[in-house]
Amino acid sequence: MEVLSHDIVIVGAGLAGLRAAIAASEVSDKLDVAVISKVYPVRSHSVCAEGGTNAVLREKEGDSYDLHAWDTIKGSDFLADQDVVEFFVKQAPEEIIKLEHWGLPWSRDANGRINQRSGGGQSFPRVCFAADVTGLQEMHTLYAKASTYDNVTFYNEWFATSIITEDNRAAGLTVIDLKTGEMHCMKAKAVIMATGGYARIYEFTTFSHTATGDGVAMAYRAGVPLKDMEFVQFHPTALVPQGILITESARGEGGHLINAKGERFMKNYAPDKMELAPRDVVARAETKEIEEGRAFVGPHGPYIGLDLRHLGEARISERLPLIRDIARKLGGVDPVKEPIPVKPAAHYTMGGIHVNIKTETSLAGLYAAGECSCLSVHGANRLGGNSTTDCLVFGRVAGEEAAKYALKNGFKNIPQQKVLEEEKRVYDGIFGSEGGEKVSAIRDALRKTMNQHVWIFRTEEGLKTALKEIRQLKEKFKNIKVEDKGKTFNTQLVEALQLDFMLELAEVTVVCALARTESRGAHARLDYPERDDERWLVHTLAYRTVDGPKLSYIPVTITKWQPTARKY
Amino acid sequence: MVGEAVKVVEFRIRRYDPESKKSYFSTYRVPVLRGTTILDAFNYIKDNLDGTLTFRHSCRMGICGSCAVNVNGKPMLACYTQVLDLNADVITIEPLSNLPVIKDLVVDVQPFFQNFKKIKTVLVKPVETLEKPEEFIQHPEDLKKYWDLTLCTKCSICYSACPAAIDERFLGPSALNTNYRFIADSRDEGFDERLKAVANNVWLCTSCNSCTLFCPKLVNCANSVVENRSLLVETGVIPRTVKDVLESVIKYHNPMGTHQSKRMGWAEGLNVKAYPNVAKADVLFFVCCSTAYDIRNREIARAMATLLNNLGVDYATLGAEEWCCGDHILRMGEKGLFEMLAEHNVEMFQKFNADRIVTVSPHCYNTFKNDKPYKDLGLNVQHYTQFLAEAIDKGKLKPSKPYPKRVAYHDPCFLGKRNQIFEEPRRILQFISGLELIEMKRTREASFCCGGGAGRVWTEEAEPEKRPCINRVKEALELGAEIIAVACPFCVTTLEDATKVLEVEGKIAVKDILEILKETI
Repeated sequence: MEVLSHDIVIVGAGLAGLRAAIAASEVSDKLDVAVISKVYPVRSHSVCAEGGTNAVLREKEGDSYDLHAWDTIKGSDFLADQDVVEFFVKQAPEEIIKLEHWGLPWSRDANGRINQRSGGGQSFPRVCFAADVTGLQEMHTLYAKASTYDNVTFYNEWFATSIITEDNRAAGLTVIDLKTGEMHCMKAKAVIMATGGYARIYEFTTFSHTATGDGVAMAYRAGVPLKDMEFVQFHPTALVPQGILITESARGEGGHLINAKGERFMKNYAPDKMELAPRDVVARAETKEIEEGRAFVGPHGPYIGLDLRHLGEARISERLPLIRDIARKLGGVDPVKEPIPVKPAAHYTMGGIHVNIKTETSLAGLYAAGECSCLSVHGANRLGGNSTTDCLVFGRVAGEEAAKYALKNGFKNIPQQKVLEEEKRVYDGIFGSEGGEKVSAIRDALRKTMNQHVWIFRTEEGLKTALKEIRQLKEKFKNIKVEDKGKTFNTQLVEALQLDFMLELAEVTVVCALARTESRGAHARLDYPERDDERWLVHTLAYRTVDGPKLSYIPVTITKWQPTARKY
Repeated sequence: MVGEAVKVVEFRIRRYDPESKKSYFSTYRVPVLRGTTILDAFNYIKDNLDGTLTFRHSCRMGICGSCAVNVNGKPMLACYTQVLDLNADVITIEPLSNLPVIKDLVVDVQPFFQNFKKIKTVLVKPVETLEKPEEFIQHPEDLKKYWDLTLCTKCSICYSACPAAIDERFLGPSALNTNYRFIADSRDEGFDERLKAVANNVWLCTSCNSCTLFCPKLVNCANSVVENRSLLVETGVIPRTVKDVLESVIKYHNPMGTHQSKRMGWAEGLNVKAYPNVAKADVLFFVCCSTAYDIRNREIARAMATLLNNLGVDYATLGAEEWCCGDHILRMGEKGLFEMLAEHNVEMFQKFNADRIVTVSPHCYNTFKNDKPYKDLGLNVQHYTQFLAEAIDKGKLKPSKPYPKRVAYHDPCFLGKRNQIFEEPRRILQFISGLELIEMKRTREASFCCGGGAGRVWTEEAEPEKRPCINRVKEALELGAEIIAVACPFCVTTLEDATKVLEVEGKIAVKDILEILKETI
């Protein structure tokens, strides 16, 4: 077991992690930055982002920071912290330009300027895009830029298992080098969590297999509260049956949603914005169409049709080439000729590690950015195109703040005992467990439970059932057997560690959802269908205790915009 | 995935246990539904049959590049390939080639990523410009010029399929493509340094086209390599060996350094008609510079003439007016010189009255079929294997003497990979009695280049271990082949040279199919 040390350690090499690495290196080249990622950086889930990144670029043509802020806040069903949102919208344009200067091939308008298109819930077309592979382009651009700094070291295929704390300070991490299977201790002056969301706890999800919420669980276990975990976004257009994302920009380019009768049913739910209402509104509409028997029925069950035929082959090939390829290769339909079969899938987790506007957590020296964090910019529902912006803006903030902290503070000594305990937990407790339960069986049962009881429409009964089942699965987990006994590149051990994290996060999600007796944004309770600003205009905080998550509430920051009825 | 299993497919997967350092095969039977991908099959195996099977995967939508593996010899993304589309009851899965195996199907991709450190992967512009807060203007037409090249996901399939990558100096198709992507980006100002970064190794590419063929995002990396070279040629920054070839073509209209008046020297005693003595024939036999001038390869041209005589075909050649077809020259990036050669040959094709053109070299065939200005003529051109297979099918050519040898057929890249001609050469060989035809392990589209294309047959400089021909001959030796049969004079040159370097001329010989056929009639 080696003890490694770096001034700043960033966990996760997606958009937020890479942006933080760049920002920290820009503060000072004397800082030694490590980026730990359990996959090679360009494999990160961020590459799956398709539609684009929001920013106010055309003030002269009618867009404004206030408008972007208002769209975001209304989209959040007023749970977003307005001071954070005001900061967020003002920082976004700079990120677009920076990416462009580093080489990103943004799609252009006829005058050669960066093109922008419409997005759900937005009153001005401000989604900057690179065809429908925006995430891919952003990731490769950021990775290229981050690789130019001599003081950045990449630890590729290293798996972080826990945050080590000393006197309420993040002192470092325990990490496993997957190539050797050995655990090492990594000391740090500052740690940035950028491990992404946790929607893989659901069976039908747009998420990559590797995005399992590791950092959220690690922070939770280190005593940091998680915020707003009950808010999970369901994206309206995921390919049936795999759940692969079909970008919102398909609707941004003019695509329609139709039921089996060929009706554009959104006229009954959001007559103004239609298909470009915010995602929670559309997802609920689709679910109603399915539940009330108006959806198409295919070999994989009911689905909604995403109709792009009227866009024409030329436009689809230019603006939506990736999704056309995916629909043909993996969905068996050519969108030029037929509607794409879609239905809502778990897509984004608004909740996460509780941070302030500087991305600081309650643990000194620990920062969090990207989907794993919750500021809150997105409140109860995120607008399409705002997540990639969030990763860039707050990835930069985290990098800068962590750098400033690391320049002022030294390392904290880590007692060997703490590392030995973690080794015991992982190698004896999990790797060496000789029970009878299969990791894959528990994993699949968890995902099924979440799908059935913690989906778009929730009830107290369903949530209680889910909680009971999750707790049973947690018990079962203590009795697993990891078949693969090899030390080198043990992907079964990785699955077990990830499942351990996911069970934790599922429990928190359900407990928070049970407690919130209202419907707001993506959290819709059939037994409490109204929004209740008097009691519930608050953020949920969840702390880990031996008896399960303990909840408390903090107010939402309101600056300019008073909550109003949310109609589209 | 719900639904009923359409069939059960057997997966033979190559395993590697790093602890015991043992390599072996595991076999699994997997129920397959409509839509099941290879990755779905892997997950099924891991969850239900064997938890130790180890592979990489993440996005399952073909965008992260994690899951590339060799499927029945061809590299592809496991998540983007449907099992039923393979039309096979048994599927063999192996890890990607050219990269060290860590465990089972997981290979070390660090050597692949290292190459990007040798080039610049961000926009190059003066610092003051980069600090300006405004966007750079780039018109849609300009973006279109390089957009397709930006779609690379760094999955390393191209690198694993590349014959030149066995030499670690070679940056690989992906890095070379990225290099050109920036040169072609109208915003970039790093032209000189970008060319410098590739100048010393870009010539190792043989234009076999494996990279473009197997790229899951359809990035034309092979073309990007040619474009890099084209710019080097324009700026004159080329190695001596490349200069020599191009200078020979300028001076002699062929790369062999010999005056065209000697072009019919190979036909001595064979009574071959040639322009200008004749200006019309059923078949225009396009000889090729290599078989016309190379002393060893003249036997191939002679064999062709002998067979055509035996068949009683009315044929002729262009004589000294047959200039180099230009295929190698075009792949080396010398577009201007290629045009000069092509214009002349096009003029000759228009002057000479023939039903069809038959070539000995797949390179001539390839360029006549696919490159402008030849392509615009819509020529009726065949490779000799197509012409002779037809003759055998019609009973006109009757190979009667036995040829009792163990023969491995090597698919030439410009015949197979590039033009999909796989069956005719095999049909010819199978027709010969006593000939035991065996397949190379890397066969058909997955054939491994002999290392001769794009002029490398003349510019070769690599150490033996890093030459594709050595690699290929070793493969044939392992199969116990006595003869390597090919249908391209450049394959003959490189592979025969390899047998000499390896000192196995006594064990294995290299023969063109024409030479084998000549011995059997």
